[in-house]
Amino acid sequence: MRLVLDGVRAWRHDLAGCLHACAATLFDFAGISPLDALGSGWSFHYRPGDARREEYYFPAPPGASLFEAIAPHHGATSRWRSPDPDDGAAWRDVRDRVLGGRPTIVAVDNYHLPFRPAYGDVHSNHLAIVYGFDDEAKTARVLDAVPPRFDGDVPIATLAAARASGNPVEHARDQFFTRTPIERRWLDVAIRPGPRRLDRDAARAAIARNLSRFAGADGGAPSDARSGMNGAPRAYDGLDGQARFLADMADRIDAGDDVVDELFVVAGTALAAAGVHGDFIGRLGRETDSAELREAGRAVDRVAHHWAALRIIAGRARGDGARSGAASLRRRARALQRDHEHALGDLAHAMSGL
Amino acid sequence: MIAAAKDHRPAPDGGGAAFAPVDLSKAFDNRGITGEADRDRGALNLWGNSFASGALPGPGARVVVGGVPFVFGARDAGDNVRCARQLVFVPAGCFDWIYVLAAAERRTEDPVHLHFDDGSVDTELLRVSDFWPETDRRFGERAAFACDRMHYPRHVERRFGPTIWRQRIPITREAPLRAVRLPDNPAIHVFAMTAARARPADEAP
Repeated sequence: MRLVLDGVRAWRHDLAGCLHACAATLFDFAGISPLDALGSGWSFHYRPGDARREEYYFPAPPGASLFEAIAPHHGATSRWRSPDPDDGAAWRDVRDRVLGGRPTIVAVDNYHLPFRPAYGDVHSNHLAIVYGFDDEAKTARVLDAVPPRFDGDVPIATLAAARASGNPVEHARDQFFTRTPIERRWLDVAIRPGPRRLDRDAARAAIARNLSRFAGADGGAPSDARSGMNGAPRAYDGLDGQARFLADMADRIDAGDDVVDELFVVAGTALAAAGVHGDFIGRLGRETDSAELREAGRAVDRVAHHWAALRIIAGRARGDGARSGAASLRRRARALQRDHEHALGDLAHAMSGL
Repeated sequence: MIAAAKDHRPAPDGGGAAFAPVDLSKAFDNRGITGEADRDRGALNLWGNSFASGALPGPGARVVVGGVPFVFGARDAGDNVRCARQLVFVPAGCFDWIYVLAAAERRTEDPVHLHFDDGSVDTELLRVSDFWPETDRRFGERAAFACDRMHYPRHVERRFGPTIWRQRIPITREAPLRAVRLPDNPAIHVFAMTAARARPADEAP
């Protein structure tokens, strides 16, 4: 049997990675604007120690799934599935999903995929979409929007190797996204049907909820994790929590803690969130002919550009670079918080005229 | 092969009186360009990627990008400045624009401080798009060199190539410029800089 689903399109944002690219394709396939789904939400939440060495990590509030975290205003949910390695379920599960008309996100190690630049060189976990198969040719149709963009057939055996990889560290430059076994995972995603675009009221409501979350008390919600009860770490929430997170990271670098991976990964998620939100607001401003919204979108972009710098500051804050990295992080955090507060003010002002 | 913008051409000596190339060599602190034999020395990003020397002008080469002459720097010790508030002195004169050849690890922007002979300081923003292949410009700058390959520490990737952008910074103060303080942003790499001399007042629009 041979099947290739129609309507599966690539989408990529220059400040986001494989998670947003794959999620965008699924939203688009479900008839929902990727920029609306992934760009209408903007917040900061992180629980200390939660980050994983995965390119597709994204911090989720307590009880929320990955898709609820990246698309909080669209009612989508997701759950990782790890098939039994011994009974052929890894491919069968994905094939069944595709046969049922659902493109499916799979985790892979780039080292095993000939279309990735890291092929045979660097181990790194990654996400791609499977949206077809050819039983006779023993191939899977794979879409990967992250450069170099790939949209073609891959031997099922090759895909299986990438999905079964232990993702080991073999070289000094295998960093950040290694040492996390892939475990044949695939993401079971449910997207609630809805209109392709948010209307003006829905967009205004989404922005209001974002502003409310940023303004909320850091760790103020009454849950065990946030209040620090039962020994659980107190989560960083909102704009104040973001400031506390960055200050704590700088202090820990100074204290000699190795927080580089954690800070780099979390900074990447904040960069993606701000970057996509900036585009969402900018487009909304163009469509509503609102100069205020366009300016607010640019202010959000400015926040993203801080995160772009901060992410590199984080990645270099090891060894001899630790002390200067901590100082640089503190300077950047001050500028980021100032401009972030400014962006939130711009959004509040622009929203009042929406 | 140089896969670059169409208006590139060798620059005449001195690049013409309208422009003053700025010597960045003392500030070079990063290897962003490597040959096939030393690509493991590349350090443009955290993964050790670098531009392929065969896809760019050689060390010391003068090249014109969009009508602006630039001089590429040395290679071994470094070929670009990873921005960390370095103070770069410029040739004497009044200028309208500072042009740079630059690349960024993800799109970013940050202030530069323009220091003038009379002690005054103005602040402008340097904005640079992502160097990563298949990534469009976001700040309206010009693609100076769209390369046909990317160097990895242990292999050459020929299916895509990164971009060096030509960006510019305005100088609004009509006064002699002395120095430029680069941004405090390690994601920005500057390969070359040229100052465009101010047009005489009677030529101003």
